[in-house]
Amino acid sequence: MTTTDIPAPTARPKRPATAPKRRPKREHEGAAWVFLSPWVLGASVLTLLPMAVSLYLSFTDYNLFDPPRWVGLRNYTQMFTEDPRYWRSVLTTLTYVVIAVPLQLALALVVALALKSMRRGKAFYRSAFYAPSLLGASMSVALVWRAIFNDGGTVDNLLGTGGWVNKPGWALLAVALLTVWQFGAPMVIFLAGLQQIPAELYEAAAVDGAGKRRQFVSVTVPMLSPVLFFNLVLQTIQAFQVFTPAFAVSAGKGGPADSTLFYTLYLYDRGFVASHMGYASAMAWVLLLVIGAVTAVLFRTSRSWVFYASDTDGGAR
Amino acid sequence: MTVASTTAVRKPVRWSRLALHLGCLAALLVMLYPLAWLLATSLKPADEVIASLNLLPGHLEWSNYTTAFDGVNDVSIWRLLSNSLLIAGGAVLGNVISCSLAAYAFARLRFRFRGPLFAFMIATIMLPHHAVLIPQYIIFNQLGLVNTYWPLILPKFLATEAFFVFLIVQFMRGLPRELEEAARIDGCGPFRSFFLVILPLTRPALITTAIFTFIWTWNDFFTQLIYLFDPDKFTLTLALRSFVDASSQSSFGPMFAMSVIALLPIVLFFLAFQRFLVEGMASSGLKG
Amino acid sequence: MPGHRTKGFCASAAALALCAVLAGCGGSGESVGGGKTVLRYTWWGNPDRAERTQQAVALFEKRHPNVQVQTSFSGYDAYKQKLAVQATGGDAPDVMQLDYRQIDQYASGGVLLDLAKQKGVLHTAEIDPGLLATGRVDGTQYAIPQGRGTETVVYDVKTWKASGVPLPRQGWTWSDWAGAVRELAKKTGKPGATDPGQSEDAFEVWLRGRGKALYTKDGGLGFTADDLTEWWTFADKLRREGAVSPAEQTTQLDGSVENTPLGRGKAVSDFNWDAPASGYLALIPDGVALAPTPSGEDGTPGQYFKPSMFLGVSAHTGHPKESAELVDFLLNDQDAAKILGATRGIPVNETIRERTASQLKDFDKTVADFQSSLEGTLKDPPQAPPSGDNALQTTFQRDYDQVSYERMSPREAAENYVTEAKAELRS
Repeated sequence: MTTTDIPAPTARPKRPATAPKRRPKREHEGAAWVFLSPWVLGASVLTLLPMAVSLYLSFTDYNLFDPPRWVGLRNYTQMFTEDPRYWRSVLTTLTYVVIAVPLQLALALVVALALKSMRRGKAFYRSAFYAPSLLGASMSVALVWRAIFNDGGTVDNLLGTGGWVNKPGWALLAVALLTVWQFGAPMVIFLAGLQQIPAELYEAAAVDGAGKRRQFVSVTVPMLSPVLFFNLVLQTIQAFQVFTPAFAVSAGKGGPADSTLFYTLYLYDRGFVASHMGYASAMAWVLLLVIGAVTAVLFRTSRSWVFYASDTDGGAR
Repeated sequence: MTVASTTAVRKPVRWSRLALHLGCLAALLVMLYPLAWLLATSLKPADEVIASLNLLPGHLEWSNYTTAFDGVNDVSIWRLLSNSLLIAGGAVLGNVISCSLAAYAFARLRFRFRGPLFAFMIATIMLPHHAVLIPQYIIFNQLGLVNTYWPLILPKFLATEAFFVFLIVQFMRGLPRELEEAARIDGCGPFRSFFLVILPLTRPALITTAIFTFIWTWNDFFTQLIYLFDPDKFTLTLALRSFVDASSQSSFGPMFAMSVIALLPIVLFFLAFQRFLVEGMASSGLKG
Repeated sequence: MPGHRTKGFCASAAALALCAVLAGCGGSGESVGGGKTVLRYTWWGNPDRAERTQQAVALFEKRHPNVQVQTSFSGYDAYKQKLAVQATGGDAPDVMQLDYRQIDQYASGGVLLDLAKQKGVLHTAEIDPGLLATGRVDGTQYAIPQGRGTETVVYDVKTWKASGVPLPRQGWTWSDWAGAVRELAKKTGKPGATDPGQSEDAFEVWLRGRGKALYTKDGGLGFTADDLTEWWTFADKLRREGAVSPAEQTTQLDGSVENTPLGRGKAVSDFNWDAPASGYLALIPDGVALAPTPSGEDGTPGQYFKPSMFLGVSAHTGHPKESAELVDFLLNDQDAAKILGATRGIPVNETIRERTASQLKDFDKTVADFQSSLEGTLKDPPQAPPSGDNALQTTFQRDYDQVSYERMSPREAAENYVTEAKAELRS
């Protein structure tokens, strides 16, 4: 090992340069399909097939009981032009994504970094910080949340803000805090990512005279970037689909005054409560396209900040 | 951490560590308050559950717990527990195997349509699951698998949880390519390098996958509710949650007790397995 | 090439699933266990109901040694979701407990069996014809009511008595009620009742008191935007005066007694169904009492006996006769009735109701006494609501939220509701 491999992580992945080189390496094509075979089977039968059905249903009027009736684009036009509640749910969801995702990721990252630098008590803290996430978002969590954020509840007593869950302007924040509170999953993923960074890189950096801060910037950040990217993409997707916390906290109603009627909550309401499965399917596909677009943008930007060790030129070392 | 920088000045380091611990403890106090509330409320009598502001119950109402257990008296609690363990265990096995196989192909092998297939895999996470719920049910019903554990376990063996495929892909892409090249010089094909080189180094991701799968499967009330009919086949989560009917009686106390009971096994599981998270690549030793 | 094979497989599998959805077909519960006929029977309820049902079913199995009954139950919300998925997947249980609001949808969707075909084993002679008719859709008997309940004004006895406001009496009108809650608020310092504006059920009682109904006989909307505006203006005014609960309290209603203003100690009375009102006893130690709901100004009662739940048989069952026998047993058998008591509401079989009345205890007796005090004064219940009602129930509450949080006037919200209701009922 030489000191030259320290700058390597910060170097940008030279994708255009390396891609042509790798192209011809399809010698393991057969092996690849063997590795993929369970996924191919599952993705086609259990995922693609139901997706195709729901795409078809989005062009129909389907009440779950009678056969679907083809209506062309009517569900889509109705959604965009005749349903003010739909647009309210879009706005609510966007607000939530913007609040919850950065907060949760920042908290998870800060705690993971703090735990990493700890020598004692790491296991204890990790378990304790993960504990809220063990609960999921069940009925009882919702009741706890409502009791704490109700008028006369703990938060009201401490801050004098009155209840949150029963005020239209505040309820969304209470739901977002429930998600942020359960930051265990991204935290554990960050920790796993931190552990995977080879100690040699830090040693080599220290030998080069890099201080703690420098090590963080030139080793931790690039080496953690694939995991950071994973968490960002997945938390964003999940935030767009937020359902359980809002369903639980508002008892399925999305109240007060529709202030926590998130997109998927409204979708569920249309599909399973009002039995308009065609309409709900159309909503699902619009959501898929929106999330797809957002994710595509994230992937595009990732080229400039996510570092994959496997993409660097093998000869550099 | 093996970084040598801690050999520097001693005193400030110790103070900063103390501050770190104090900060973490303060954060924990806030974070764990709702859990304390849940635990305390599970022991409160009915008239105190919502109305009382005190964290501690006026007197301990153990009957909440006996009531929660009464709900499941048709099926023994051990039966429910072993059903839950079977499903969660099967799911863990399935996810770890199938997701790491698929991830290896996506992360480190070249094949036709890799880009589009990867995009499709990510897209499968994006469609809200309520939209595909009924088609999936119809498929399993056509296959005659409703009221068996197959709908709960089989999808995991077919890598349908793209979340974990993507997770493992990200970890595998973080490993330097020379690893396989070295292995290839030693005469390893893709299968041997997968098992002997890549898999051991992806351990943190695999353990994360295992732990999340276990917890999420354990808590997945809805799928279990839809696919299981026989009370004999019920899981602990399903039995406890579906037996409390909020609309027909005053039942908040028992409901809280029930969530505490349902929580215990996964707490124990997490405590038992989280220590494996510690041993990552740093300790397994990467010799480039 | 694996890719090609996959594509072909995909296409054929997709075709298969589309067919399944289009035809709405699917396997039926044609299961036979050890030479016995196996019936699947599901209901929603609590552990007490489960235990008694289990005993009754065991007795049924003893009487019919060739039949084995597999039972399964869950809480109401979970049950509704599960049954919807099962029914859609063509996999509904042989015998199922149904809610008033499910009947129309399940019947017109072809999920339910015409029970008249099983007249030989399923007897309905001892059920009040008006009540029995609620299980009929387009003249066909798809479901049989299994118990009955009614709306009630449930109140905190001690607080109400201490306030000196005259207690509710039979035949009181909505203006009597409004006067009472105003007085209560003045004397006790807390709202006299839950804001009834959000409740479609309370609105229905009010409408019936004026000789109207939520839905017409052919499933259209039975009232106009003017009616609804008047109702919401009435509730809105009381709320602004502080006579009924404020929006921040009302919004927390979630079906449990704990989260009603009365259950939280923030109001003196509540609109609720009679049987679930037993939940208040644990929360209000000094006890609650049941009063009839207010009548129209000319004395027309809006209150009615409503089937609290139904039993239906799957149209795809392989064993219609045995299923009907089980339904008959649960409704009409003396021994079954003894075991079941009032766990599903006061029994609908009139002979059984009279015989079991004396055996009822505690709150069951309170409910039975309350119901018998109303006997003979009420009008027939409406037929089962059209399937669009499932959506409208939440819309009703949502639109009123806009009024109670003062984002819309009663008129605007009512116009919104009526527009949506008309669209919903047309489809």
